[in-house]
Amino acid sequence: MALRGKPLFIVLAGALFLLLAVPHPVMATQPHGDPEGIVVHQLSHVFFVFSMAILIYWLHNRKLSVQPGWREIRYAAFFLILWSTGAFIAHLLDEQLGWISVSRMDTWTMHVEPSRGGVALAWLYYIVKLDHLLCVPALFFLYRGLGRLSSQKDSGGEPDADAKREDPA
Amino acid sequence: MTITWIPIITVDVLGAILMIIFSVLAIRYAWRLNRRDPDNLVWTFLLWVCVCLAGFAISRSAGHILKQMLFVAGHGAVWAHIRPVSGSLNTLLLIIVAAVTLFFNGAWHIYQEIFSERKMLQETQSELMELNRTLENRVQERTEALLKHEKQMAQTDRLASIGQLSSGIAHEINNPLGVIQGYTQLLLRGEKPDSQKQQDLQVILKHARNCKAIVEDLLHFARRSAPEKSEINIHEVIDDVLVFIRHRAKTEKIHIETRYDEKVIPMYMDEKKIKQVLVNLVMNARHAVGDNGSITISTGYDDQERQVMVSVADDGYGIDVKDLDRIFDPFFTTKPTGEGTGLGLAVSYGIIKNHGGEIRVSSEPGKGSVFTLILPVNTAGNS
Repeated sequence: MALRGKPLFIVLAGALFLLLAVPHPVMATQPHGDPEGIVVHQLSHVFFVFSMAILIYWLHNRKLSVQPGWREIRYAAFFLILWSTGAFIAHLLDEQLGWISVSRMDTWTMHVEPSRGGVALAWLYYIVKLDHLLCVPALFFLYRGLGRLSSQKDSGGEPDADAKREDPA
Repeated sequence: MTITWIPIITVDVLGAILMIIFSVLAIRYAWRLNRRDPDNLVWTFLLWVCVCLAGFAISRSAGHILKQMLFVAGHGAVWAHIRPVSGSLNTLLLIIVAAVTLFFNGAWHIYQEIFSERKMLQETQSELMELNRTLENRVQERTEALLKHEKQMAQTDRLASIGQLSSGIAHEINNPLGVIQGYTQLLLRGEKPDSQKQQDLQVILKHARNCKAIVEDLLHFARRSAPEKSEINIHEVIDDVLVFIRHRAKTEKIHIETRYDEKVIPMYMDEKKIKQVLVNLVMNARHAVGDNGSITISTGYDDQERQVMVSVADDGYGIDVKDLDRIFDPFFTTKPTGEGTGLGLAVSYGIIKNHGGEIRVSSEPGKGSVFTLILPVNTAGNS
């Protein structure tokens, strides 16, 4: 017989037949509802803080941060951590925990209503909403740090990123 | 708590614009660094970080500016449709920036490995080049030494042939000369003093004696006369020669310097013949320097080879390259006719060879010459 000795083929053909002949809701894909977006976004902030902290550690460990260019890149990473933490808190307060509700009174006025923590929490929320006060300095330090590295390279100085400083052993 | 939006809106809009500006400027610097040193992976890493960060800054800032504009314009509801896309894009770019940043350590390690391997390769290459250079120098030195040796051998063979020929001729001429000299002396006995015939016979005798001297020199060159060796101090021999030369030649304006090596030990040699060689060399040097100049006679002792070196150096006009091969040939001279027989160096060569030594010359036209005698140290027992 032609099909003798081919059990795998028989099983697969049977399964295909059942799928086509007997359709049924199978829940093959997981639905991604409303809270997932904010969770992913918050996780991205945590991941970002983690990666910047690691970068600061490496710059310190490689003794690169003693040089002006790399030192300013370290400052940039530090400000980015502060910014990401602030943004994380703002999202947490108004979108996840719901401790703060914001409503626009008119174009130029807002009402911040804390359900917990009182006015202090409202002020904290207001301050963390001014997050550009942290991320702009971060990018400014990045720009300045790279500028210094570049001018150091132009002046023929030892490039900071060269591995000469570290003993490969 | 009711509060104004103005600070938030102002910081949001201005901050968003500044973020875009600084992130683009940062890309510019990172790109410049990467272009200057494209092999450096760390600069490439920084460029990637800056590009991703700029992407995030632009996406986020554009969203913030648009949001504020829509609210100020009273179209806040539109933002509700844009917000999910803008937020998702921001999230995605934030994750990419974070992920790329985590490559720093990897980039650093990779570059470090590349750097150390490149350094090792460069060191090996320079070592190889140095070895190659040394090898080339050695080959050149050996080739030059070989050529010099071959030249010396050829000269030795040539001088030996000339010596053999000279010896044969001298031997054949010596006997008739003796007969001429003897008969001339016999004839002189019977002649009256100051007679014409007596004067003629004196001329014959004088020239016969000159011929005899030349023949004797030829025999010295051909090493037919055995040296009469005795223990000598070479420094005393040189001093004697210099006293003799100062008496015979005008040396007032010539600076003669001696540099003796105190390690030189007494030798077993024919003092008379060594003096003859030294007189020849010093007289040649004196002739080469002219009225003004300096002659340096120095000695040295090689304990391992058991050899004594005696150098006669002058700062005279030197010897032309074309003449260097012929200076030990009998009757070869660069002096004007009548001033030299051309036998001095030939005889010196013969004498030194007869002592088991060597005579070497180095000369540079216009700068001077150095004649070096290399004499084996013989003692009474092994001479």
